[in-house]
Amino acid sequence: MIHLDRVSATKGRFRLAEVSFALEVGAYGVVIGPAGSGKTTLLEVLAGLVPVQGGRVLLDGVERRWMPPESRDIGLVYQQAYLFPHLSVAQNVAYGARDIATQQEVIERLGVTPLLARDVAGLSGGERQLVALARALARRPRLLLLDEPFSALDPRRRGLVRREVRDLHRAWGLTTLQVTHDFAEAGLLGDQAILLDAGQVLQSGPPAEVFRKPASPYVAEFLGAENVFAGTARPWTAAPDDAIGERQQAMAFETGTLTFYAVGDFAAGAGHAVIRAEEVTVARDQTYDSARNRFSGRVVEVATLGALTRVTVDVRDTPIVAAVSTQSARDLALAPGLAVVVSFKAMAVHLC
Amino acid sequence: MMRAPRTFPPLLSVIAGLVASLLLVFLAAPIIELVGAGGGEGLRRLGSDAELRGALALTAFCATAATVIGVLCATPLAYLLARREFPGRAVLSAVLDLPLLIPHPVAGIALLLVLGRESALGGAALAAGIRIVGTPLGIIAAMLFVSAPLFVSGAREAFARVDPRFEGVARTLGDTPWRAFHRVTLPLAGRGLLAAAVVMWARAVSEFGAIVILTYNPKVVSVLSYDRFTSYGLREALPVAAALALLALVPLTVLRALRVDRREEM
Repeated sequence: MIHLDRVSATKGRFRLAEVSFALEVGAYGVVIGPAGSGKTTLLEVLAGLVPVQGGRVLLDGVERRWMPPESRDIGLVYQQAYLFPHLSVAQNVAYGARDIATQQEVIERLGVTPLLARDVAGLSGGERQLVALARALARRPRLLLLDEPFSALDPRRRGLVRREVRDLHRAWGLTTLQVTHDFAEAGLLGDQAILLDAGQVLQSGPPAEVFRKPASPYVAEFLGAENVFAGTARPWTAAPDDAIGERQQAMAFETGTLTFYAVGDFAAGAGHAVIRAEEVTVARDQTYDSARNRFSGRVVEVATLGALTRVTVDVRDTPIVAAVSTQSARDLALAPGLAVVVSFKAMAVHLC
Repeated sequence: MMRAPRTFPPLLSVIAGLVASLLLVFLAAPIIELVGAGGGEGLRRLGSDAELRGALALTAFCATAATVIGVLCATPLAYLLARREFPGRAVLSAVLDLPLLIPHPVAGIALLLVLGRESALGGAALAAGIRIVGTPLGIIAAMLFVSAPLFVSGAREAFARVDPRFEGVARTLGDTPWRAFHRVTLPLAGRGLLAAAVVMWARAVSEFGAIVILTYNPKVVSVLSYDRFTSYGLREALPVAAALALLALVPLTVLRALRVDRREEM
């Protein structure tokens, strides 16, 4: 297990401040954060390349703070690849390889064979990343640290390489920590998401939970939550008993002229309600469903992005965004000005 | 419509070109004139003038020895200055620049104070049977003093140009710091280090001020040309001076050739 316990480190003017999180052996962690949030520095701390000033770095339960990088059994892939320019592609891949068999397996899996005879200087950005990935994997490390390793790959190859890395991760029981800007990638790959901003961990946990239950409105907005409302929560005394589970409270959250009903482990008081657009359904009439929150409004905007369509509905001067399938949007003939009903479950309302 | 990139106004370009040309002529003309007037005779004298041959060999040997010592001692220092933040780094850099800032005869006098027979170091060396002043050791010491800072500066720049992340990656691939240094950093900084060594050698070859104070005899070429000038006049000094200029031009040519090779590789 990787366990960072209140780790502080400084690199130039940047400072990681009391970073704590844990990642199980064999897990795939993703670090998400805006540019300059300390994601790369975090990887360099784990690699032993940036000295730790405070806190503990526990690898498999043993303090490794002072362990040099070469003894940590890690692989590190930077976004810029950092291939050694004085060596050939083949020499780069072989640089720290565990053995010929592992090297060959990685070369074949990642499709590096056609690049072996090429000069490093002539590789494209994507090819460089691919070779850097092969170089790190050929070592068959116990911990793989990836700094946006797929960012320069074309979409087709990105998918293939991502799948191969995920397969190797499973087959070798490779603990992996990957930095990404791509929320879809985070959800697709990660067993655990770590959200970093200004050198601090804002939240960590399974990606679905981090996305559904952001710790703050800032996290919610950073993760692309469309519906974030400021307001006040108070106990919802009239809530039906069957709607409330163990260790849950029913709350009524007032924002402007609207009241949302929420069920969860929440406290009363001023705060924010977060509802992901995917949790909001749109209908042409008041058809019955089990959703506790149902509002009539008018469509103000319809934006189609491939298979998904984002529909903004004005409900008493409050915009609520729903993400529906493009097919549903067509079936409902959604268009600006159309009167619709938006609904979402009390469980879909997260208060923070 | 794309806008054309902004350029200097034509008149300004002409003036800048004219001023630059004047400086270029001022710098190049004396050397061209010297080599043109005395180069042929200097080369011819190599066959007949044993003193000139000896001075050239001594100059090349001492400059090479000073460069080897400088490279061995200054490379770790240059790496340290390029890579590490530590208290007193700025002071250390300033101290290393001092020999470049003081007049070279003054450097010779300062060296005499440290290495002369009256000094602790010079006295101890003499007691051990090693004479520094008035021997090739004195020449090497003087050359090292005035030219090593140039190597430190060049080598430091060469190391600074190598992104430390290359070393970091090598470390994650199992290299110890020393192994990462000689497998990655050294090859990547290699050309810069070589260029710095060549500049150091050329500077050592052309040194006069400090050497003349420390070791007049045996004579290096710069001292010989001065000696011929004061004893026999310009005509006798000219071939010697031209031979020295040609010797100093050798490393410059090598350096340029290296750069051309590099461009062709890229």
